[in-house]
Amino acid sequence: MTGTAAREWTKVSAFIRKNWLMARRNIFTVFEVVFWPTVGIFSVGLLTRFVGLGPETTAFILIGTLALSIIQVCQLDVAYAILFEMWAKGIKHQFLAPVGLWHLALGSWLMGILRGLAVFALAAGLAWWGFGFDFFRPGPAALAAFLLGLFLNAVVIGLGVSTLLLLFGLRAEVSAWSAVSLILLLAGIYYPVSLLPAPVAAVAAGIPLTYFLDAFRAHYGFAPVFEAALVKGFATSLVYLALTYGALGAALTHARRRGTLLRLSE
Amino acid sequence: MGLSPAVEIRDLEKGFRSGWPRRRVQPALRGVTFSVPRGAVLAILGPNGAGKTTLLSILATLLLPDRGSARVLGHDVVREPHRVRERVNMSSGNANFLWSLTPREILDIFARLAGVTGRVRRARVEALLDRLELRGHAEVLYSELSTGLKQRLALAKALVNEPELLILDEPTVGLDPDVSVRIRAQIAALRRERGTTILLSTHYMREAEELADEIIFLRDGRILARGDPDSLKRQIKVGDRVSLLLADPAAWERLRALPGVLACASRDGRVECVVDDARKRLPDLLRHLHEAGVEIHDLRVTEPDLEAVFLELAR
Repeated sequence: MTGTAAREWTKVSAFIRKNWLMARRNIFTVFEVVFWPTVGIFSVGLLTRFVGLGPETTAFILIGTLALSIIQVCQLDVAYAILFEMWAKGIKHQFLAPVGLWHLALGSWLMGILRGLAVFALAAGLAWWGFGFDFFRPGPAALAAFLLGLFLNAVVIGLGVSTLLLLFGLRAEVSAWSAVSLILLLAGIYYPVSLLPAPVAAVAAGIPLTYFLDAFRAHYGFAPVFEAALVKGFATSLVYLALTYGALGAALTHARRRGTLLRLSE
Repeated sequence: MGLSPAVEIRDLEKGFRSGWPRRRVQPALRGVTFSVPRGAVLAILGPNGAGKTTLLSILATLLLPDRGSARVLGHDVVREPHRVRERVNMSSGNANFLWSLTPREILDIFARLAGVTGRVRRARVEALLDRLELRGHAEVLYSELSTGLKQRLALAKALVNEPELLILDEPTVGLDPDVSVRIRAQIAALRRERGTTILLSTHYMREAEELADEIIFLRDGRILARGDPDSLKRQIKVGDRVSLLLADPAAWERLRALPGVLACASRDGRVECVVDDARKRLPDLLRHLHEAGVEIHDLRVTEPDLEAVFLELAR
């Protein structure tokens, strides 16, 4: 690796290492990666048994549950890049360093992907063991595209949450845990978007996750609602990524102008 | 062509908005201008709210100024903040880091953020642990460190990128005297060994006198005085103290009318006078007492310390 590339990768690795060390030593991360996904898969899976849903509908719902769990864990890691420092009241030290926002976003996202993959492994294992559901049925390419789509959605949400944190301080902390719930309502996690009222369904069509769920569910017998769903999913993801990255940059400039970094530190 | 100064500030202004919808502006800096040559130590003194942290934070690129310009090591803090951050670092009093990390991990992460790679980073972290006497606590969680250790860690963090300009915002606040002495020794060593330019804000006059080549007094966002410690005392004219133990304590009243005597009072049996210049006024004072037949049992002359200058300026 050239000198410049090594230096830039080292800066990215700072965010991976920080999130990794914090995850190892804080109990709430165990809940995030193990407890909630387990509760999600079993509670939803058993609910489908209770109401007597068929295998396709069960597949529909379990795919949504898995997606929610993975996105939540991954986006939290992106948000933690800012949130940990805010909780410690030491955020200014991070922004004293010669790092760009892309180091922060990439490093924390990579750690989020690792934890997201851990959630996938656990949830897929539980779904197979508990309900005979096979997340690998669509094949590696389709699964990889689906997971990548989930991770892109997560980084978009995480950057959005980070923007709110820099704009509003710890008052916006609740968004780290509630933003994904909003997506839940709109993107077809537990029901097809066609059930939503027309104006709301139009909003769903603007959410990248809607397309990735549609594309993946097609492998389980559900006729796709959207044409070229994966292309639309990736295209909208990249647009949102650019927008949220820009918003975060603007929020950081605003924070430097208003003195927010100092107020949120010692 | 010589190197540019370490710091060049011209007409720097900064205000903070408050109230709804952000109409009230509280000025923090009002037209501050100064420069600092490379390798110098500048202390910034002033009462709370004077603008010290605002000034240092602008130089560290944590704050954007409203007007004016600031250049650090030849780079504009607004247009080239990344270049500034590569060559500058900052330590503040009561610094906070992540509660679940150890000093070794914290230094490692900040060294990574500075782009220090591989073996160089590992060696530098270990060297800083030794230099700031943190080795014995390298694996202790940050939340379990004492205040003194946290402050030493904050200074170590500020050295991970071997900065050419080091900004210290009240580095010894709240520390025991022995720890403060050790930290001041580290600061002096940095300047001596590496020629690091140091900007230091402090409330402790002894610290400023010990470490600084030059001192700036800030108050209400403006520079009230600037100079080395001795010239500041002369500039501000807080006066020398002459303390006398007289056989006739009531004789002090005669001294008040003498030229150059700024104030005189009786306190705990001694006569305490403030004169503009002890070298000039003391012979007249003694002659006057001798002619009045007043015996002098004890005489002490004290030059003003920076605290007196500070108090005078902060009034």
